[in-house]
Amino acid sequence: MLVALMTACTNTDKIKTLIITGQGEDNLVWTQAVQSILDASELFSTKIVTTPPEGQDMSQFNPDFSKYDLVVIDYEGDAWLEKSVASLKEFVENGGGVVRVHSKSQAGSPVPSSVSFSERHNFEVRTRITDHPVTNGLPVRWLHPEDVIVQGMDFSADGIQVLATAFSDTAYAGSGKPEPVLLANNSGKGRVFTTFLGTPDLDKNEALECAGFIVTLQRGAEWAATGAVTQDVPFDFPTAAGAVLRTGFKSVNPDEAFENMCSYEIGESTLYFSWLQSEIRRASGNAETLLNLEKKMVEVLKNSKSTVDAKKLILKELSWMGSEYCIPAVKELSSVTDIKDEVDFTLERLQ
Amino acid sequence: MSIKTSRRTFVRRSAAAAAGIFVVPSIIPSSALGLRGRIAPSNRVIMGAIGTGSQGMSNMNDFLKLKDAVRFVAVCDVDAVRLMKAKARVDAANKATDCRTYDDFREFLEKERLDAVSIALPDHWHGIIYAETANKKLNVYGEKPICRTIKDGQTIVAAVKKNNIIWQTGCWQRSQAHFRRGAELAINGRAGKIKLIEVGLPDGGRGIGTPPVMDVPPELNWEMWLGPAPKVPYRGVCHWNWRWMLDYSGGQMTDWAGHHIDIGIWGAGLEYTGPVEISGKGVYPPEGIYDAPVEYDFTCKYANGIEMRICNASRLKMGMGTTWYGDLGWIHTDRGNRLTASDPKILEEVIGENEIHLYKSENHWLNFIESVRTGAPNIAPIEPAYRAISAGLLGEIAMTTGETIRWDPEKEEIIDNPRASRLLSRPYRKPWDLPTV
Repeated sequence: MLVALMTACTNTDKIKTLIITGQGEDNLVWTQAVQSILDASELFSTKIVTTPPEGQDMSQFNPDFSKYDLVVIDYEGDAWLEKSVASLKEFVENGGGVVRVHSKSQAGSPVPSSVSFSERHNFEVRTRITDHPVTNGLPVRWLHPEDVIVQGMDFSADGIQVLATAFSDTAYAGSGKPEPVLLANNSGKGRVFTTFLGTPDLDKNEALECAGFIVTLQRGAEWAATGAVTQDVPFDFPTAAGAVLRTGFKSVNPDEAFENMCSYEIGESTLYFSWLQSEIRRASGNAETLLNLEKKMVEVLKNSKSTVDAKKLILKELSWMGSEYCIPAVKELSSVTDIKDEVDFTLERLQ
Repeated sequence: MSIKTSRRTFVRRSAAAAAGIFVVPSIIPSSALGLRGRIAPSNRVIMGAIGTGSQGMSNMNDFLKLKDAVRFVAVCDVDAVRLMKAKARVDAANKATDCRTYDDFREFLEKERLDAVSIALPDHWHGIIYAETANKKLNVYGEKPICRTIKDGQTIVAAVKKNNIIWQTGCWQRSQAHFRRGAELAINGRAGKIKLIEVGLPDGGRGIGTPPVMDVPPELNWEMWLGPAPKVPYRGVCHWNWRWMLDYSGGQMTDWAGHHIDIGIWGAGLEYTGPVEISGKGVYPPEGIYDAPVEYDFTCKYANGIEMRICNASRLKMGMGTTWYGDLGWIHTDRGNRLTASDPKILEEVIGENEIHLYKSENHWLNFIESVRTGAPNIAPIEPAYRAISAGLLGEIAMTTGETIRWDPEKEEIIDNPRASRLLSRPYRKPWDLPTV
């Protein structure tokens, strides 16, 4: 359904998004990453606007927010003009969405001196509110790599919901208590989503490539703009078992997955098979989708380049979800000594 | 017939004879029957152990604390180092050197004539070894969860019943006063009519990524450890950590199903039936050798309207343990002597003479020994253990398929869903197969 929705999406259907950047030392890398992440969801049409440099005349910076559905603020530096701040506030009150990214983003206000930062390290995020549209369906515990925890921000404004926290360990210059990392609040008719995850690092961008950061940003942005989230929680969302990185901010696509499955050898990542298992679950009760998956799986079995280990994992899934369609292809493998057990296993279950 | 065989027969026959004269009430402590302490060596329960890893040794140590009520004489393990440690422990307890060792349970079962066997193995071995041991008419103290698949469980239950052996499950929480008290309050309606049971089980832990293939340690018979499970090369994961891999276990969920689900159904009168509808979701690690769900949240609906929600503890306000919610309040119990209620007065309630009194055991291991010696029922029979883990396994099937599963708890069949039904069993790798019962 999501695929159909995306195909039908034209630019005009997309969420018109203005990304504001400027003045922060790493902001270019960061802003491009944020844009790539939003673009990867295919839900947003994004435009970046840069503020004047530090110390310059901010009066030139006075965007017309009303032309957009969503304003993403990736900014640290000089205070905006009061009328810009007021205009943004009015935008939200009238139903606009705002996403605040980057650790120091204060929507045009100076960063309070009480704010401090932990050292960069791996930590676990705890989803605290599981029935908010942004976090609904997410794991309760998930690992996030090589990031900074922001401490001491003021969250006292009315209606701020702490969606997720991370315990800030004193071993990494932390506060020794859970700190909010994802926030949401309604304001007037609009909504504001804040993420404190993903502080950029020019050397190693694991914090940004974390599937948990990417997906919560995409979901938070959709919620801020529309009040709802249509994106499924992807199979590669990290868990307490381990962090998951997305190269180029993109998740697995089906063709790539089936192609990569063929060359699987034991001891390598099982990411693509996990993707397959999640697709099978998603297709539950839908015979046509299941058959389409089964056909792709049979192609892996028949592919002369497929490894024995790949065939074993495919057979394991076919053994319960397969139909009569796969049986001839499975039987054809009976003569292959290395997978005789798995073939017998599959046929015993299917027949 | 060996002397040992006649001794074991004597134990069972004398128990049967006693039962013919008067029914042994379970509330009479064994000491009143002369069973606690100062037992003549000839009346000791002679035991062996199959599986001498952490849980196996823990159980053995708990049995050995009963001193002269028990004597271990044989141990079996596929890991030679563990086997020797177990022998040393037994020999030290016996002040002897004659504890027999086996690296193959088939030889153990063929040669040993025992009163009882303590079995603690990875779940994928339970079906075969529990049923084979029962078929040899040996009494079993068996670890939970008692099976990896529903079919394994059905086979084990049938073997225990047909062979009329004494079985006790290692769900020792039943022998702790506060769990029993919580269950007894719940089953007698002290929180009102039970509507919902919430069962909080541990979250899954950190993964280890995708380790490479490596050499099997010389002490380990890897082929035998795998047994009926798919043949895979050794990758450094075996003892203890098999728990996180679906070929051998269902993860934290199935491990703890044998404890907190067990307590839940005990206190709700559901221990001899199963759910009729099961649905829910699991969170699976996207990659890595550990593939069991690290989070899970599913609900079992029973025919009488009670719902049991089972999930990782982080999702629940009450956290770990079992909570019975009735129309008048709730009762929660967990390890660490935790027993709380919506109103503290509930905990002061007296259970009347004509109300339900749950079976009482104060020492799980002694209770088994007494059961073996007298033939009387014990605290943890086979069927409740099967019903506890089958709720978990049906939840696993619902999570694997992404479907709502309908289950017939009488016929023990999934209704109208051939795909899900295939997951009720796992074909065994040859030459292994479930024994005929």
